[in-house]
Amino acid sequence: MTIFFLLITPLLASLFSLLVKKQVKVLHLLALFASLIEFFIVGTVVSAVVKHGVYAYQNYFYVDYLGSVLLMILATVGLLVSWYSITYLKTEVAKKIIGFHRVRQYFVLLHLFLLVMFLAVITTSPIIAWVAIEATTLSTAFLISFYNKPSATEAAWKYLIISSVGLLLAFFGTLLFLASTMAVGGHTLVSWQLILTNAASLNPFVAQIAFLFICIGYGTKVGLAPMHTWLPDAHSKAPAPISSLLSGVLLNVAFLIVLRFKLITDVAVGQGFAQGILIFFGVASIVVAALIIYTQKNYKRLLAYSSIEHMGIIALGFGFGGAGAFAGLLHMIYHSLTKPLLFLSAGNIFLKYGSTKIKNIKGIISLMPITGVIFVIGFLAITGVPPFGMFVTEFSILASGIHTHLTVTIVVILALALVFVGFLRHVIAMMFGANENGLTKTAEPTGLIAPIMVLAVLLIGLSFFLPESLSFLISSATLAY
Amino acid sequence: MISDSSQIFFFLEVLIFASVIFMHLSEKNYSVVFLYALQSFIVTVFLFIAVVENFSWMLFFAALAAFAVKVVMAPYFFRRLILKHQLRFNVNTYLKKPLALVVVAILTALTYSHFFAPLTQLAPQNSNAILLAIAMMLTSLFLIINRQGALSQMVGVLSLENAIVSFAFLAGLEESPSSQLGIMFDIAIWVVIATVFAGMVYKQFGSLNVTAMKHLKEE
Repeated sequence: MTIFFLLITPLLASLFSLLVKKQVKVLHLLALFASLIEFFIVGTVVSAVVKHGVYAYQNYFYVDYLGSVLLMILATVGLLVSWYSITYLKTEVAKKIIGFHRVRQYFVLLHLFLLVMFLAVITTSPIIAWVAIEATTLSTAFLISFYNKPSATEAAWKYLIISSVGLLLAFFGTLLFLASTMAVGGHTLVSWQLILTNAASLNPFVAQIAFLFICIGYGTKVGLAPMHTWLPDAHSKAPAPISSLLSGVLLNVAFLIVLRFKLITDVAVGQGFAQGILIFFGVASIVVAALIIYTQKNYKRLLAYSSIEHMGIIALGFGFGGAGAFAGLLHMIYHSLTKPLLFLSAGNIFLKYGSTKIKNIKGIISLMPITGVIFVIGFLAITGVPPFGMFVTEFSILASGIHTHLTVTIVVILALALVFVGFLRHVIAMMFGANENGLTKTAEPTGLIAPIMVLAVLLIGLSFFLPESLSFLISSATLAY
Repeated sequence: MISDSSQIFFFLEVLIFASVIFMHLSEKNYSVVFLYALQSFIVTVFLFIAVVENFSWMLFFAALAAFAVKVVMAPYFFRRLILKHQLRFNVNTYLKKPLALVVVAILTALTYSHFFAPLTQLAPQNSNAILLAIAMMLTSLFLIINRQGALSQMVGVLSLENAIVSFAFLAGLEESPSSQLGIMFDIAIWVVIATVFAGMVYKQFGSLNVTAMKHLKEE
């Protein structure tokens, strides 16, 4: 029953936000209160999963080890993003960039966005999961076009069409997987478990075609190359907190669905097929992102391409399997903390400089020392520099693939080196040098700094110490991969 | 009886496949919307046949919702968009008509290749209609890619959805009525949002031609 409130809370928060008239503080309180409740509900659910292995409510909701990892990511990033959004939007209102109606629209859609992501993770039905993922497109389209500029509208249109086409292909793949259950499932709500139980009876060729469509379809949402084209535009045009959620959470939620179908495909055709597909998309994403990161001119797009790269690394981890899958899921957690940290820091930079072009940003360290230091921490973590956790996960993934996929491993190592060099030159250009815009150093608002500091503490803490319960969750979740 | 119903399904599938071909040939937005409404009507006929075969009120409501959304609501929204922005003609494509038809022919031939053959095993009695549904998927996808008009792209997305629904019916892969209602709700919201966005595109670019959108390239 507790899990039901995970959906009710954001739904009510969204409805109440819609009814608010001119009292911005109420919107802020609703956002904080709702995300805190969601955080505690997730805590309860995850502890139940750790104890009993699974948390289920009737035939509709179900959280396993993998789902609980995703829920933790979603609740933590959701809470910090909601907290950050309050001061971020306040600053934009003060600068007359937006008005009250936009702030209200933002919070209404933010709660809906969180709601449908929770639904996608906890539903027992792949069709409802598809409906929820499609609903993430609909709830975020207006957040991407939030500033109502031609470029933002263009990015949102591109996002809407490409994501919708991708998800329709994913729907086709999902329907093909239902073939195994038609004799037993009939017209009832078909669950992941039912498909998995009957996966052995699925025609292997149909399973292969289905998984291919799943990877192309949900892969569009994950941002895997070559279906990634919407992602840099959407992430760079959305407000910084929304970019954080898109990059740090949504991509992972879509990836969760791919992983659930991978298990079914493995039963139907053996592990090799799905692994090969994931390795292909993983390498393609890493290489494409690495080449573009090096020549990037916009720091938000830089971070967006970095997300494509990291989704590729996670895909590679699950493609290699075994220890690679464990490292892949751990990498997902680290990425979910690092990318919001970077996007929120980028939000602070944007509020100060009013530009997302790298050439216009100089002297961050002297003008915004706290944001600057945190951004550098994020840069070191995201490029896999030791002692950050991503160094260990990337190393583990590559180590698990070096014996079986030597060429792939070498190509990925070269691409990661290129990513580091590309990031380094952009970060140096932004951090140092004399500020030419006549901007002066001012105190950085606590509401913009505290959430990213929490993210930095979590990132550093988890890099050095992985709690036993989290390690247990990750190893249990990846056992089958 | 089975062979009779298979022939009827094949005939209906031919009609909706032909509607996509005519969408490729059509020069008027009204015609594209009319063809979509016709195509959706046939798809809802499939859904009502499923209701007759396995009657349940939920299934009936799901079919009714599909009719309301696809045959009534979506064409109404598109008509309003055309009227509001005087968008009678839409002839801009990336490939000229003869070349586009060659691509359609290649895509249709591709569906009869070894790659898609295993899918006919899902319902061997409807194998030809199933392959035609896949051909319709590919040609709808091509419509989205080839047309420069935002309205045609929207209709292309919905036509792709129709192709998948018809495939599911022919292959016997219908999902539960509650899921169908969820999907219809999603599509209804999608139509509203896409129409609002098309309005925003027109307002900011003075056209629904997507090639007018160049702001992201300049950055």
